[in-house]
Amino acid sequence: MTVGLQHYVVLSAILFSIGLYGTLGRRNAIVVLMGIELMLNAANISLVAFSRYLTPPALTGQVFALFVIVVAAAEAAVALAIIMTIYRNRRTIEVDKIDLMKW
Amino acid sequence: MLTQFGQIALFILVIVLFISALPIAAFIFRLIGLAPHKPTQVKTSTYESGMETVGKSWIQFNVRYYTYALIFVALDVTAILLYTWAVDLKSLGAAGLGVALVFIAILAVGYLYTWKKKFLEWK
Amino acid sequence: MNLWLLAPELSLFFTAVVVLLLGLASSRRGIVIGVSLLGVLVSFVFAAFLWSGTPQATFNGMLSVDQFAVFFKFIVLAALVLVILASADYDYKVEQVRAEYFTLILISAVGLMLLSSARELITIYVSLEMSSISLYVLAGFLRDRRSSEAGLKYLLLGSVASATLLYGMSFVYGLTGKTELGQIASAIQSLSLSGLLDNPALLLGLVLVAGGFGFKISSFPFQMWVPDVYEGAPTPITGYLSVASKAAGFAAVMRIFYDAFGAPSWLGQNWGLLFAGLSIATMTVGNIVATAQANIKRMMAYSSIAQAGYIMVGLAAVSMGQSVAPAARSALAFFLASYTLTNMGAFVAIIAFSNKTNSDLIVDYSGMGRRAPLLALGLTLCLVSLLGLPPTAGLIAKVYIFNAAVQQGLLWLVIVAVLNTVVSAYYYLRVVKLMWLGNPVSEEPVPSSAALRTALFLACAGILLLGIVPDLLVRLSETAGHSLL
Repeated sequence: MTVGLQHYVVLSAILFSIGLYGTLGRRNAIVVLMGIELMLNAANISLVAFSRYLTPPALTGQVFALFVIVVAAAEAAVALAIIMTIYRNRRTIEVDKIDLMKW
Repeated sequence: MLTQFGQIALFILVIVLFISALPIAAFIFRLIGLAPHKPTQVKTSTYESGMETVGKSWIQFNVRYYTYALIFVALDVTAILLYTWAVDLKSLGAAGLGVALVFIAILAVGYLYTWKKKFLEWK
Repeated sequence: MNLWLLAPELSLFFTAVVVLLLGLASSRRGIVIGVSLLGVLVSFVFAAFLWSGTPQATFNGMLSVDQFAVFFKFIVLAALVLVILASADYDYKVEQVRAEYFTLILISAVGLMLLSSARELITIYVSLEMSSISLYVLAGFLRDRRSSEAGLKYLLLGSVASATLLYGMSFVYGLTGKTELGQIASAIQSLSLSGLLDNPALLLGLVLVAGGFGFKISSFPFQMWVPDVYEGAPTPITGYLSVASKAAGFAAVMRIFYDAFGAPSWLGQNWGLLFAGLSIATMTVGNIVATAQANIKRMMAYSSIAQAGYIMVGLAAVSMGQSVAPAARSALAFFLASYTLTNMGAFVAIIAFSNKTNSDLIVDYSGMGRRAPLLALGLTLCLVSLLGLPPTAGLIAKVYIFNAAVQQGLLWLVIVAVLNTVVSAYYYLRVVKLMWLGNPVSEEPVPSSAALRTALFLACAGILLLGIVPDLLVRLSETAGHSLL
């Protein structure tokens, strides 16, 4: 069996689903953040795979993935800063305890 | 078009049935003895086939490492973006160099900021 | 590569860097605000030059500089002026980091301006994140319990939305092999499909991209973050979020869906119908929940969800065909311009009130007509304009956008929207009634700073001017609507 495009796409779909479960099903803000990173990396895998298998020699998808990595790093930095503020205010980062405002 | 959406509806129905069947099946298996419930100390331990941790694993790192991590991440992603410029260095030429310099200048503003705000000092 | 075409963004970004460096040297309020406003003015002048140029694509087709994009740059800049003025009085809570506050606002504006001209998936994603990440920080800027909670909620939900958007984009790229919107459109046409369900990748991409942007424009199933973030964020930022980020989001949605998924015609009608359905759900949810709110910032949040529903009527109208799209696009642009002035104006008035009373509860607005007649008059005008009564810009905008939708045969959608407007009268006019007929809690007058008064005056003057002589802006938005590259 050779590994082809569909394997990568399935892998990225599985990663995306795990990430989505992490963001929706877990309570710790850091774990939620890790879920988001998984989702972004799932998109990266599918971008790179599409770029490699469907549009060689154009590297658009790979360049896209590089930009996503950079953006994800910036996002994680900001996220950790905000989570630290939350922790200083409340001594918890369980997202279901951060419920000062609801309708 | 409607028949196609009908297939999706059928698919959703199957999913719902399957999900609701799972806990019922688990209960029946327990009743007829296919899945006996006999917990032992080994079975319920966190790492059934791993090493026991020495000391507490939930130690806290000093939060001041955070700013250093941030500065490092900035450097890290700079390298990624500069890499794309480096692989095509020759054909991008002077214009590419100019763009890269502007990019580094913007980042330098960030480092100047962290320096001036005394984030680089271990207080 | 013509850098002049990027001059509004570049000058604004340069201003942001200068403001940040100035903040290191001194944090005198006047200097920081003065430099920021000067930068906005310079950027505005550059944008005005671009307005008279011919529409063209730059940076290998990544950005299109047409009147449609420039129109939205004007909207973002107008919101920027108002938010800077509104923050001038508000920022006593952020003494040490004032320069950073304004830097972040300016950078997010750069991102939004780029987003309104982006016509390529990478550029769209990067500019979207450029604005979003700054806005996450700004939402949590006060670092107290409420503000940090708003920041966290906005950040986590926003990141999930952008990851979803990205995953959708990866499928669009995988299907077509292109990231430029025009090339995506021709690649889709060359597939010669007969329906959306023939191609699951296209369906998935379309739905995920719609979901990702649905968050940005606070469309129905993705509207849950809006009230919490709007309540907790610093009030000027709430205003900014509700107008600038929404306007640029709509510009991007317009461009992606019309440019990339506009043809063949059944594809356009498919997403048109999607947005029509979402529009009904969005405005109904927004209006009905708004009637039950006790906090005015939450009420304005639900009101802005409802307004997003009205704007999506225009989006649905755009989808219905090549020949009629320009009129609907003009209506969309006009509505967003009028909504920007109106909503920013309302938030400026709310800031002025809460500076004195330290409360955002609607009951505390009782008798404000006697304590601060001018502020109350300004807020009344803004609320009346949001409702859409004469002689305000809101009326013209609604008539304009509903008219475009009726011409596309979306009469049923317009009927629902009009019924919704009737519901919205209840909560808008409740505040107005309370201000003028309620008994004041105390007789103390409510003072307001010169900056806030200027901002409110600018917004109200704009609302009245557009309400009485709408022709001024209608002609601009017609040009914008017809110019799309």
